[in-house]
Amino acid sequence: MYGFVSVIHHSAVLFSIGTIVLLDLRILGVANQNQTVSAFAELLRPWAWIGFGSAVISGFLLFASQAAAYVAATPFRVKMLIIVLAVIAALAVEWSVPKWDRARVMPVTAKLLALISIVLWLGALLAAVEISELTGLG
Amino acid sequence: MTDVVLAACRWLENTSWAVTVRESALAYPVMQWVHFVGLSLWLGACLTVDLRLIGVGQRRQTAAELSNGLFAWKWIGFGVAFAGGFLLFSAYATMYVSNAAFFLKVAVLTPLALMWHLAVQKRAGAWTEAEHTSAIGRWAGVIEFVLWISVVTAAVGFLLTNVS
Repeated sequence: MYGFVSVIHHSAVLFSIGTIVLLDLRILGVANQNQTVSAFAELLRPWAWIGFGSAVISGFLLFASQAAAYVAATPFRVKMLIIVLAVIAALAVEWSVPKWDRARVMPVTAKLLALISIVLWLGALLAAVEISELTGLG
Repeated sequence: MTDVVLAACRWLENTSWAVTVRESALAYPVMQWVHFVGLSLWLGACLTVDLRLIGVGQRRQTAAELSNGLFAWKWIGFGVAFAGGFLLFSAYATMYVSNAAFFLKVAVLTPLALMWHLAVQKRAGAWTEAEHTSAIGRWAGVIEFVLWISVVTAAVGFLLTNVS
């Protein structure tokens, strides 16, 4: 059972971060250039959030198996904090995409936000790796 | 396990880069992170194209157009994942190769999924010429999706059974 939930967690995390980063790369102007930002965002949105939702549910189950140890672990707390910030960045991107799409050139704020989103999501991944490395959990 | 494979693994473990990854406190987890970063790009791009082939979700781009648009980042992701994975493997080659889940992942499932992916990438244009993706294209998407999840399953099986 633990293994099954862990498979879901790994798949969902990688898939949702991948789709979110691909949208950020499109905003930066280096991926899927033949499609508008808002149409690409529309395609990726359900996959990113279904993936994120599955990651949260499976992650909560894994967390619940050793909750006290996880809560006490610094890398775990850092990971949760980064995820909250990364979700805020992703929502800000989603929120602004239709507005940016009407601009002739992608605004600097759009590119900056996309870059911040990439750094945060990859940072969450790094914190996740460090949990097992530094604490032996998971 | 044949002696040749074990001998090759022993040689790999003694290369300078393998020793560095094994003995540094930072290198191993950082390589794990690199492996995951590459994988997220690879899986994000591949599974999105598979879902488009299957026909769920928004359909403004055909699967072939989507596949072309994501081509560069998909293979950058693969290269990064491969480089990170190879360094991780180098550090503990003999131990990893004797783990059944790892062997299944690296020797069977990953090559199979990769070959399937190359076929899908090559044929996606033909499958999406008509307004709707052909039935073959849809099933090819389903199969690729399942193959990559099976790779992740074997990888997690390895993580849970490997004591390093």
